[in-house]
Amino acid sequence: MTIAPFEFSTVAHLEYPAGRTANDLVSLREGIARVPPESLFFHIARVAVRHPRAHDLPPNDFANWTAAALQEPEVAERLAFAGSQPLTELEALRSSLLRILDESGSRKHAEPAAQAATFHFITARSVKAPLDLVAAEPEQVVHLWPQIDTAAAFYHLVEARVLGPGQDDLAAWLKSRGATKLAEVAESVTMGGMPLLRLHREIGARWRRSLITARLVRRTEESDAARRQEARAVVARFAGRLRKQRGGRE
Amino acid sequence: MSESATRLEPNVSHPPLHAPPPGGWLERYAQVVAPGTLRALEALARRLRGHRIVMVNTTKTGGGVAEILHRLVVILNELGVPTSWEVMEGDERFFNVTKKIHNALHGHTETLTAEDREVYAERTRLEAERLELDGDLILIHDPQPAALISLRRKPGQRWVWRCHIDLSSRDPDHWEFLRPSVSQYDASIFSAIEFVPPLPIPTYLVPPSIDPFSNKNREMDADAVTEVLDRLDLPRRGPWVTQISRFDRIKDPIGVIEAFRMVRARRRARLLLAGGGASDDPEGAEVLAEVRDRAAKVKDVTVLELPPGSDLEINALQRASTVVMQKSLREGFALTVSEALWKRRAVVASAVGGIPLQVIHERTGLLSRSIEGAAFQTVRLLDNPDLRHDLGVEGRAHVRENFLHTREVRDYLAVFTSLL
Repeated sequence: MTIAPFEFSTVAHLEYPAGRTANDLVSLREGIARVPPESLFFHIARVAVRHPRAHDLPPNDFANWTAAALQEPEVAERLAFAGSQPLTELEALRSSLLRILDESGSRKHAEPAAQAATFHFITARSVKAPLDLVAAEPEQVVHLWPQIDTAAAFYHLVEARVLGPGQDDLAAWLKSRGATKLAEVAESVTMGGMPLLRLHREIGARWRRSLITARLVRRTEESDAARRQEARAVVARFAGRLRKQRGGRE
Repeated sequence: MSESATRLEPNVSHPPLHAPPPGGWLERYAQVVAPGTLRALEALARRLRGHRIVMVNTTKTGGGVAEILHRLVVILNELGVPTSWEVMEGDERFFNVTKKIHNALHGHTETLTAEDREVYAERTRLEAERLELDGDLILIHDPQPAALISLRRKPGQRWVWRCHIDLSSRDPDHWEFLRPSVSQYDASIFSAIEFVPPLPIPTYLVPPSIDPFSNKNREMDADAVTEVLDRLDLPRRGPWVTQISRFDRIKDPIGVIEAFRMVRARRRARLLLAGGGASDDPEGAEVLAEVRDRAAKVKDVTVLELPPGSDLEINALQRASTVVMQKSLREGFALTVSEALWKRRAVVASAVGGIPLQVIHERTGLLSRSIEGAAFQTVRLLDNPDLRHDLGVEGRAHVRENFLHTREVRDYLAVFTSLL
């Protein structure tokens, strides 16, 4: 079976009201139980898109609101922990959140939030646009990776895995092409819970490092002339960088 | 006693807002946004090739909407999405009526008379004949031009109503006046979910944004800031607490003076209230007179009336501020907050309208809900340079990702694509 090349796309998110609000833990539970999976995804996973440069990733919207508006720090930290794994399947995530709220609700009733602090459930739909960056081989993914924007990185690493479509799931494609190590790097870094911009850079860096061995092996199989030519190109690039730096200083 | 109550003369020497830099505006954005952002915008714009967009509002100058449109229209065109901008004109009677509607939608008590309704309808009829509305998608900004749809919609066109106002405390009568028109649109856009009223049409959430290269936001060195302070006859020595906002009751300038009076009783500081009016706001002069009257009774308060085109002055005044306040009672979005955050200023702001989206309490700024709260947080910031620094760094990063024009263009492209 021929495996199609991987086409990078970016997405813009159309956000809209999910039609539910919460003022206390009971209505929060009700909302979490009823909203579509896209809404859970928005409030949990997409926090990373809203704060891509943060030093540390803020907790998800449910945890944030429970801490700030309901003054329930214990419930908030449990909700934060439940939502800290971005690749979790959404119905499993929903069950975890509901279990926490059920347990908290059985012990005590938090004060309702002031009307101005009502929690509004939001949902989102992605509008996809191809970036005209296509990788036929896994190694090309590594080269193209720095050219995509953080929204595209999030889409291919997290959103496509959790919400679909499956053909845009980058780790799955890498596995299907036998690049298991690249896929594992992507998955493990994504699960690490770091801010998106750092995650984007970190995956690129680890991928490049992981290719060094393969490159060295390939290089030994090349002719002396090809190796010399490549060395000259590397030196020329390095000299160009030095000239640019000197120009910048002057 | 109050210090000077100055009116600044229009400054026409600033570079024009539209002057495109070499390479265009988009290329300049590459200096500040994350890698890949512009490629992503181009990819989204490609999906709209062949479609024309028309933006409609009621003023070319003054207020956040006009500022946004000045740049968004250029950027959309640079991306290959032909976009034009039409301005609905009106006389004083029309703008008095729309100001009433505006205030009532913000929750103030106003009465819309039969005559007011007729003034609104008549102006809509006149402008419907004059405006060029031949695009594939017509984006109408705010309530003033909302009724154009019933007179000018053509088959196959998509009409979207973009509301920049917080409708959460809307007056029901005024909303009922507007709702039949709004319900005819294909979709509506609001700045924050809290603002959205029940509507039978799809609703999308798109916060507004700022331009980092406008005269109001571009980098300025310390000498340039000092030059502006000297020219405005403002003492160089602060610390300055400022609120730079239209003189409008919903911005609560009197509340700012009261909060400052409490601050001044405990710390040495100066307050600057600076702002102008929008051409569609006839109430500004009255509010300014009230503010001057109150300011005269508090020590170290300066009131500065800024004419249109004072963007560099606003930039310098924000940069000269130790604390920037935005103590609004109601807000659409309060882009002045994003402007201050972009300049790494420490911000104290009310938790109303779109402000909590920009000011994440203790992370990008400090929120307050009362005059005492505003005073308390201001004193806290005056006393704590490390806190000001940390909030400033996080605030700028937050604006970079969420409140620059590139993000708003991206959202609009998504809305347009979903409708065309």
